[in-house]
Amino acid sequence: MALPKRIIKETERLLADPAPGISATSHEDNLRYFDVVIAGPNQSPFQGGIFKLELFLPEEYPMSPPKVRFLTKIYHPNIDKLGRICLDILKDKWSPALQIRTVLLSVQALLSSPNPDDPLANDVAQHWKENENAAIQTAQEWTRKYATA
Amino acid sequence: MAKIPRNFKLMEELEKGEKGIGDGTCSYGLTEGDDMLMSNWNGTILGPGHSVHENRIYSLRLYCGEHYPDVPPTVSFISRINLPCVNQQTGLIDSSRLSCLSNWKRNYGLETVLTELRREMAMPHNRKLPQPPEGSAY
Repeated sequence: MALPKRIIKETERLLADPAPGISATSHEDNLRYFDVVIAGPNQSPFQGGIFKLELFLPEEYPMSPPKVRFLTKIYHPNIDKLGRICLDILKDKWSPALQIRTVLLSVQALLSSPNPDDPLANDVAQHWKENENAAIQTAQEWTRKYATA
Repeated sequence: MAKIPRNFKLMEELEKGEKGIGDGTCSYGLTEGDDMLMSNWNGTILGPGHSVHENRIYSLRLYCGEHYPDVPPTVSFISRINLPCVNQQTGLIDSSRLSCLSNWKRNYGLETVLTELRREMAMPHNRKLPQPPEGSAY
């Protein structure tokens, strides 16, 4: 079946004009399935890390949000052990006016500003709240251990 | 139709499994909660009523390789069971003898396999088969 024009447009723009620190490439055999790489933002505990993610546009896209998951292990209060991301625009705050690009920019922003008050990984969030410096140190260690190419 | 990739299909199955499926007679979950590849799963089947399996709980191991769901999972019983599709030495299910595995379709899932096995246990020609002692394992 033909790919919706909107998805073709978005894919082309992602390639031609990528957002800084983000790359997204669709699979040749499944144009709704993207390999994503996000560079850990500067001044965050994830700086220097290269994080791999996967993104899938379900049949209902853009009426439903894309599905996004981290493939690289990451120590973050809003990302769980399986790489699932707690981000409102991926759930109830999704709007068809958003795009793959905006979603990935939001994920990148989430790396810069972890939010332990709306946690997905409870143990990590608790660590973050009780001893932020120690939690940041663990996040840096994980970045070195799992997110360096 | 959009073709759902392996990992997102397994993620959907996981979320369904976490909520509990159907009437609770079958369940499954990841063997290791942090297995990002989502390859190894545990399943349980509550033996169907009006059969020798009634009130028994069977444990299974399910493996989803990198080509799942284009290819079916590998499934074996951990609990000993006497059933024609189960290898009596290893507990491994002979995929040629379970129709959901031999006629595997991409939209099937781990739940499909577990519920069909439970149906097998309740079949007239299977439900009275003599069984190994309860609680024994392969």
